[in-house]
Amino acid sequence: MGVKMTRGAYALPGTSLEYKTGTWRIQRPVHRHAPAPCHHACPAGEDAQQYLALVEDEHYREAWENLVAANPLPAVTGRVCHHPCETACNRGQYDQPIAIHNVERFLGDRALTEGWRYPVNPAPEQAPAVAVVGSGPAGCSAAYHLTRLGYRAHLYEALPMAGGLLQSALPPYRLPRDILNAELERLLATGIEFLPGKRLGRDFSLTELQSDYPAVFLAPGTQRSRQWDSGGATPRDLHVGLDLLKQWVAVGTIHTWSSAAIVGGGNTAIDLARILKHAGVSEVHVVTHHSLPGPGKAPTDVMPAIAREISQALEEGVTIHEHRGVQRLVLRGERVVGLELVHMKGLPDGNSGLRRTTFEGTETLLHVDQVIPAIGQVVDPAGLEMLLDHKPFLTADYNGRVAEHPDLFTGGDTRGDHGTVSEAIGDGRRAAEAIACLLQQLDAPATPSEQPISLSQLNLNYYEHAPRPEAPVLPVSERTGSAEVEGGLERQQVQAEGHRCLSCGNCLSCDNCWTLCPDVAVLKSVAEAADGSHYVFDYGYCKGCGLCARECPSGYIIMQAEQ
Amino acid sequence: MLKALEGSQALAQAVGLCRPQVIAAYPITPQTHIVENLSKLVADGQIDCELVSVESEFSAASVVLGAVAAGSRAYTASSSQGILLMSEVLYNIAGLRIPLVLTCANRAVSGPLSIWNDQQDSMAVRDAGWIQLYCADNQEAIDTTIQAYRIAEQCDLPVMVCVDGFTLTHTLEVIDMPDQAQVDAYLPPFDFGRKLDPTNPLSIGTLVSPEFFTEARQAHHEAVMNSLQTIVTAADEWGQTSGRQSGALLNVSGPAEARIGILTLGSIAGTLEAAGEEFPEAPATRIIKLRTFRPFPAVAIREACSGLSDLVVLERALSPGSGGIVGTEVRAALSGLPEAPRVHNFSVGLGGRDVPLDIFPRLHQALRIGSGKDFAILDLEPDKLSADAC
Amino acid sequence: MTQEATIDIARLRRQQPRFSGLESGHRACLGCGEALAARLVTESAGPDVIYANATGCLEVFTTAWPESAWRVGWLHSLFENAAAIASGMEAAMKSQGKPTKVIAMGGDGGTFDIGFQALSGMLERGHNVLYVCFDNEAYMNTGVQRSSSTPHSAATTTSPSGKVSMGKRHLKKDIVTIVAAHHIPYAATASVAYPSDIRKKVRRAMAIDGPTFLHIHSPCPLGWGHEGDISIEVARLAVQTGLFPVIELERGGLAGSMPIRHVRPVTDYLKLQNRFRHLFADNDRAREELEHLQALADHNIEFYGLRGSQPDALDTEGADTVRRGGLRWA
Repeated sequence: MGVKMTRGAYALPGTSLEYKTGTWRIQRPVHRHAPAPCHHACPAGEDAQQYLALVEDEHYREAWENLVAANPLPAVTGRVCHHPCETACNRGQYDQPIAIHNVERFLGDRALTEGWRYPVNPAPEQAPAVAVVGSGPAGCSAAYHLTRLGYRAHLYEALPMAGGLLQSALPPYRLPRDILNAELERLLATGIEFLPGKRLGRDFSLTELQSDYPAVFLAPGTQRSRQWDSGGATPRDLHVGLDLLKQWVAVGTIHTWSSAAIVGGGNTAIDLARILKHAGVSEVHVVTHHSLPGPGKAPTDVMPAIAREISQALEEGVTIHEHRGVQRLVLRGERVVGLELVHMKGLPDGNSGLRRTTFEGTETLLHVDQVIPAIGQVVDPAGLEMLLDHKPFLTADYNGRVAEHPDLFTGGDTRGDHGTVSEAIGDGRRAAEAIACLLQQLDAPATPSEQPISLSQLNLNYYEHAPRPEAPVLPVSERTGSAEVEGGLERQQVQAEGHRCLSCGNCLSCDNCWTLCPDVAVLKSVAEAADGSHYVFDYGYCKGCGLCARECPSGYIIMQAEQ
Repeated sequence: MLKALEGSQALAQAVGLCRPQVIAAYPITPQTHIVENLSKLVADGQIDCELVSVESEFSAASVVLGAVAAGSRAYTASSSQGILLMSEVLYNIAGLRIPLVLTCANRAVSGPLSIWNDQQDSMAVRDAGWIQLYCADNQEAIDTTIQAYRIAEQCDLPVMVCVDGFTLTHTLEVIDMPDQAQVDAYLPPFDFGRKLDPTNPLSIGTLVSPEFFTEARQAHHEAVMNSLQTIVTAADEWGQTSGRQSGALLNVSGPAEARIGILTLGSIAGTLEAAGEEFPEAPATRIIKLRTFRPFPAVAIREACSGLSDLVVLERALSPGSGGIVGTEVRAALSGLPEAPRVHNFSVGLGGRDVPLDIFPRLHQALRIGSGKDFAILDLEPDKLSADAC
Repeated sequence: MTQEATIDIARLRRQQPRFSGLESGHRACLGCGEALAARLVTESAGPDVIYANATGCLEVFTTAWPESAWRVGWLHSLFENAAAIASGMEAAMKSQGKPTKVIAMGGDGGTFDIGFQALSGMLERGHNVLYVCFDNEAYMNTGVQRSSSTPHSAATTTSPSGKVSMGKRHLKKDIVTIVAAHHIPYAATASVAYPSDIRKKVRRAMAIDGPTFLHIHSPCPLGWGHEGDISIEVARLAVQTGLFPVIELERGGLAGSMPIRHVRPVTDYLKLQNRFRHLFADNDRAREELEHLQALADHNIEFYGLRGSQPDALDTEGADTVRRGGLRWA
């Protein structure tokens, strides 16, 4: 080599860099971005961990822009979503989950007050146009994402206004109309061609759409109520739950009996129950063969309505009869005077489904003046007879593709297995992406299989316990009917929630790896780390000891065997 | 200027003239007066330096090692047990090529315990890699001390100035003490080329593998060998400044026709020179005063011995189980010469036994009788040995 | 995910926003606590420092001639004299009127045992030197022999466990109290599990003109018998059990401590290390030893008042809390 002995054998500084200790390695650290559980659980596909990071640094606009890359209606979902992200949030196993729902609401509301525009340009004139039927959350989302992906969207809507059930059936005390309309207006302003007053089956046919457009997204919703088997006679003035709800939303008044029972366990039943209570019906009952939500309950057994809506209903004095069904109505003439209730549960039917089963000997009488079925909706076959073929819903795969019809897509309530707003929004996005692939003759995206990062993959020594903020809720006495029951969080509380986020599976630039490497083999670089972190491994010297992986708080570093 | 000074006092003043920046002080008889005098000079502000009163000789040597490595001229002194205790550090100092001056006030080494003068202590560390210079009187001691800094700093080697304990350190002598201007002219400010400096951060004291250790040792060995020249030049130049020659490698005196020579180190030389006059009837004798023991000036010794039929090597140390130390090395240097003198090796004055003038005729008598042995202790009193002492 | 192959790593290395005192390419074992501690100390101390290093692992793995991992002025002399070398360096700096600080570094062997005298002398004389002891609780460089710092009942090659012995008999020497008894302005213990605490203490010591002492608990995977990737976890548990109290002493009196928010049982710490494996045998002797170690930990907690009464940002849970964006004030 030519090195010569020095006087007294002194050595020059930093000459150890000649010796590449990286040759010692049998495993190396790599950055691995695993999906955070909130991202994995969000039906709309939001990556809450990503925008919470931006919120922590008070980059609210960037956070909102990140959010609306998946979900264009955060002020809506930030009020009505059942937030499975919070259930999945790893922090829930450490102290309390992040209030992602409230953060989303805050960002959605701020975007409206600040007048932020989507980072989406109108599609170019010569881009292909795609038809979207129905302007509920699924259809709006599909039209938005198609525009975002560079396609022109023609949004057909039977009613004069956009919004679907959001507009017609969600009570204002859950979703104020000014908020909803501002969100919809902004969405439609992205260059979507909105065609109201056009009903499928009456004003145009599916065949026409299929010949005029290279792809069609069908999201007309479920406009027909299920037939309710009341065990015999039906009253003269039987009202269907959803119709009553829509009427109240549209007009603001509702018939007030002295007592009423609603049959059903979904949001329609609960919303209607609360409206009746607010309107002055002294006794409001909800009868459902499902159970009330609670720890240890099987998800298939629990009422499909949103848990906090159920608890607010209970606060407001609604009585919920769980695991009950209506055996028969008690009529005097054609008027309802009571219900014969019986214990009822959904039990496995041997085909991986559930069958509603009654238990003889448990019958009781409930005296009410009216019974209102709210047992669910199916797709109205008008215009879709051939496609539906007497089935209640259109079936589709993960991307919303309708079987045997490569140019047809569906999502939201229409597909039967996705009944929430956030699922509908996710369906719209997935279908838009699949349509884009179709039009570019690419394969549709595969169903994601990556597992979310679990709590055990984090290093909790580096976090500190902190409480979750509580958003204000109107006292029961003030819930008069149209005032919003749930409030939002203050900016400082929202920023603090961003700070409380554990950053699961993603680098938070905490400097731990940089600080703890005994071999100075982790280098800090804001500009040059291409993988989303701010650190670069110097594999020339890294010995693969694994300390960085062990002590990474967010599980972003894993050790891989050397090839 | 001429002053009557105790040896230790003179040494302290001479050290002060060299402007040391750090002095490490640990007392041990008979070096104590040196450090006490230095302390007083510092306390009176006559030497501007950091005086570190350490807690052992090991630390004394370590402190001055650290001080020089950090770029300050340093000084310490010790004797006997202290020299041995710090011996690990002495090897380290030399191997790391740290320029330093240390006064060894020669004293016998325990066991048994003795506080009196012999040269076993400095001889015990002759292989540490230091330059060793032996002084015959206190004038030589102060002149050698001043030259030692020059030699050390030019060669990047430590220098041990050996001064017989009590015999020199505690003796009053008239000393011609140079003045500060002379010394300043002779000794430039210390500028250590490898000093520890944040702007040029070297690593000193590394681990050297078999692949390179031999070369490191060779470098050290060569440096000490080459210092022979520097020692001579330093003496010459000091001679020009002071008007005094202290003999560089060795000093030869006595009649040119002498066929018998005596080689010795330290204060005994003075005794022998005086004895020559006291005993004029003794055979003509060449006195070879060996000043530089390390590096070993083999060439100069061979030259000094030319024409001798017999050479006595008289030393104040011995290697138990072997014999004389200096004598063995001198014998080796002379062997192979076509007309090498017969070498007679004796120790005297061990443990401070007085070496009187009549050592001279006793030496000559011993030569005449001849012992047939390679080595003997000349002033042994056999009656004092018990039957089972050995 | 793979890194960009086009990053100029050498240039990036030179642009790191921290002072580099210890460079890559040193030959420490995987996960070496001492290497980490030395890196942290030199980083926090900054460039205007010169170092005296005792013989031991640190100097051996950093200066295999001609290579040196040090980027600071550094001298290694012998095993027992780091404190004396540092004293000389400090005297030199004073004599030259330079403000450059001197730091002495030694392992537990070179500090508690063979270098004890020189340390005491340095402290007594009041030199402006920070002495840092990297404590891996044995003579590791020579192959894991016991020192007076080895904890009670730990197994080493000269205090092995066997049929009649349960590891080291004697207690761990309480070095920081002995050092503090010299009434120096500042003496503290620290652990590599809490790097921000180390940085703070180094800076505190650097700012003091006088002798200061920092005793850093540094796990040795090879000697303690665990994988290199859990060195920090092991160090953290030593603190959280109370076996290694993190305290600060000023002029001999207790001036601060790191409270333990949730005290862990000593078994949590001991079971991770092979050097304590014999304590988990199914016999009364082993159980008694475990009780003894628990009693020692309990004693420490009581003696230094380490049980935290309420959560504190500087306690054993708070002191290593991270934040997005990293070290803004460490």
